[in-house]
Amino acid sequence: MNSRDVAPQPLLNITPSGARYESVIDLERARAAHLPLHTERTEITADGNTAAAIASLQMWRCMIYPGFPITPSTKWIETVAAYVASTPGTPKRVKLLEAEHAVADYMVGAAAACRDLIFVTATSSVGLDHMTETTRSLGASGLGNVMIINVYRATANFPLCIEGDPSDTLAHRDDGFIQIVARGKQQIYDTVLQAPCLGMHPDVLTPTMPGYYGIKSSHRNARLVLEPDAAIGAFQDRWMAPCPLPGLINGDTAFGNCVTSRYFQGFKVAQKRRLERALELLPQVGADFERTFGRPGLAFFDAVGWPEKGEVDLAVVSMGPDFGTFEALRDAWAREHGMSVAGLAIRLLTPFPREAVREKLRRARAVLVVNQAHHAGRGHLTLDVADALNGLPVVPPIVSAFAGIGGADVSEATWEAMLDSGRRSLAGETLPPYQVFHEGRSL
Amino acid sequence: MSGYKETATHDSCFRPGSTLCPGCMESVAFQNLGRVTDNGVKTIFTIGTSCGEVSTLAYPNVVAWGRGDAPPEMFGKSFSIIHNVFESAPTLAEAVRDVSDVLTGCGALERPVQVVAMSGDGGAFAIGLRGLLHTIYRRSRITMMVLVNEFFANTGFQYSPAATPFSDTSTTPAGKAIPGNMQKPLDYVHLAMAAGADLVAQISPAYGKLFVKTMEKSLSLKGTAVVFVPAPCISGWKYDDGQTLELALLGARCGIFPTFVWERGQGGSVKDCPREATERPRIEEFLGMQRRFAHLVERDRETGAIRARAGQEAHLENLRGWVQENVERLYALGELKK
Repeated sequence: MNSRDVAPQPLLNITPSGARYESVIDLERARAAHLPLHTERTEITADGNTAAAIASLQMWRCMIYPGFPITPSTKWIETVAAYVASTPGTPKRVKLLEAEHAVADYMVGAAAACRDLIFVTATSSVGLDHMTETTRSLGASGLGNVMIINVYRATANFPLCIEGDPSDTLAHRDDGFIQIVARGKQQIYDTVLQAPCLGMHPDVLTPTMPGYYGIKSSHRNARLVLEPDAAIGAFQDRWMAPCPLPGLINGDTAFGNCVTSRYFQGFKVAQKRRLERALELLPQVGADFERTFGRPGLAFFDAVGWPEKGEVDLAVVSMGPDFGTFEALRDAWAREHGMSVAGLAIRLLTPFPREAVREKLRRARAVLVVNQAHHAGRGHLTLDVADALNGLPVVPPIVSAFAGIGGADVSEATWEAMLDSGRRSLAGETLPPYQVFHEGRSL
Repeated sequence: MSGYKETATHDSCFRPGSTLCPGCMESVAFQNLGRVTDNGVKTIFTIGTSCGEVSTLAYPNVVAWGRGDAPPEMFGKSFSIIHNVFESAPTLAEAVRDVSDVLTGCGALERPVQVVAMSGDGGAFAIGLRGLLHTIYRRSRITMMVLVNEFFANTGFQYSPAATPFSDTSTTPAGKAIPGNMQKPLDYVHLAMAAGADLVAQISPAYGKLFVKTMEKSLSLKGTAVVFVPAPCISGWKYDDGQTLELALLGARCGIFPTFVWERGQGGSVKDCPREATERPRIEEFLGMQRRFAHLVERDRETGAIRARAGQEAHLENLRGWVQENVERLYALGELKK
């Protein structure tokens, strides 16, 4: 059976508006024009930006790469440009715009022009902020064929700090994108390949924002397994049906209309439903990826150290590469203190997987949440976790910590200090609403 | 290219149902451009936030765009439109052009596509100047139509960088201390030429044949065409119903916004606006028809002539000087070949 024969059909009530000219764009010609980067599984050593760029280049549906450089995401566009410049006959093009806002605008026009191609860029920090006017339009647009790779870096230039801090992606929770956190080169590569499967699903039609930490993940090298382009195409074909809605080229349609407040309600409800549908589909995409390539696919979180029944003294919730330090010391610290300790590294940031997180944490005696970006209150993740736990018969105490702000290393000593706060909470000690940790102590 | 009379019979993509003011020049421009684009080629418009957008794309009102229910085999009648934000129309158009080109390049799209970007003052000269100039600079094969009504009309007739000196706007109100807008307009024609456009024009649909011819030429170009359309605004300029075309012609002839068409490699020319001020209509005639200049000029009750209000003579003379500069600058620009 041809893989496209089992392409997903929309379940939500999406009403096509305007005529759609089925035969005007022959996507098979675009597929045929793709020059594979890899015809067999290959192992290389690469940094995170290179991993994301290679994944972007291996997708035949990516034909134009709009971009504007900003540290620490710059190497993504440089890598793509180097490939295009050195590959005679490739149909791929790099499109250099004058600013990030223009990149986002460009992706609106391009993605609306042909809804079956994928338009991907990479940015960071104030670059993402500069896109904001249009990312919020994109989030509501139904253009799931847009992907913004966000290389995390602190926002605000007073003071300027170019290291990995997720304040940029966390400031864009309400833009309407599906936000997925990746840590490690392999996870970055795999996430870029899976994200559009979710975003372009006819039930979802929501742009995606995979992200990873600047410097720590973007600039450090590690082993990376690359899959053959043909296998990637076959996997994606199982999730990407031709868009049921007309595009600018193959349809008579109007995008970006004004509405009265009465009709605005309906648009926003539909946007939320599409976003929430991602919660049902993401595990399915991840499972299919794992079946296909033999590595874990998309998931709500990475779970570490959980016993079968889920009962632990202290549960740790965090995200990003510093979670690896916790993983490394978890067992020894737990044994030393006679406690059971488990952790969740959040992968799906938006929509936040409330139900899954609640289910995982419901038997924890205390929860330590580690936030890594400035927040007006107790921390972005803390509020999400508190929301997830709301309504449980017994809500475990939440210990809220900040660490690694501005991309600072979260050292073993810092993790131990935070875990000790969790231990003190379990011992009945009253802790402040939040604490900021650095170099092994509370500031 | 088809003749003017034949074009007038074409099926415009601008349909009934807009809520633009009766007599709005934007609707005249849309109607004419809409007919020109009915040429057998798939048409895609991009539009920045503006009166022209909110008045034609408001749901659940009728979308005032399209060419009706053409049968599927008539793809050449197909029409699409997209709005994003104030400043994005040129960039969106460039993206659409690139996608159609890359699909064409690999054989996935065999039918041609024509792309038109439409912006207002804000979308082209203020928040959108960067996008406009960079899209021109990248030589994108699109046509840009900029509707210049000298205001941010959509948000309440605030000053725009194209505002005529001394005009009364809601953010440069004429008062006893300040006589309206004190800023000379942005030289957008020169900017478009310098940025690399292949065709730059300033022309009103009041010049019907030339407008249609210029638009047809723009759509057939291999490079970037930028057409600035002076757009008298009945609500903002404050004139009487039925005077839109008359004002458009008078404004062009007296030198406020002379008709000008320029092509790279060939040069250009000013039409219907002599270099000598004495051979042009007096600017007072143009100013006197609009209440946005009521602080500057008045009608003499005995002679009926428009004249400077008492104490405003120096300002009027100043404005006359700018108009002469404006005319001479366009004549000079016309002599440039590239």
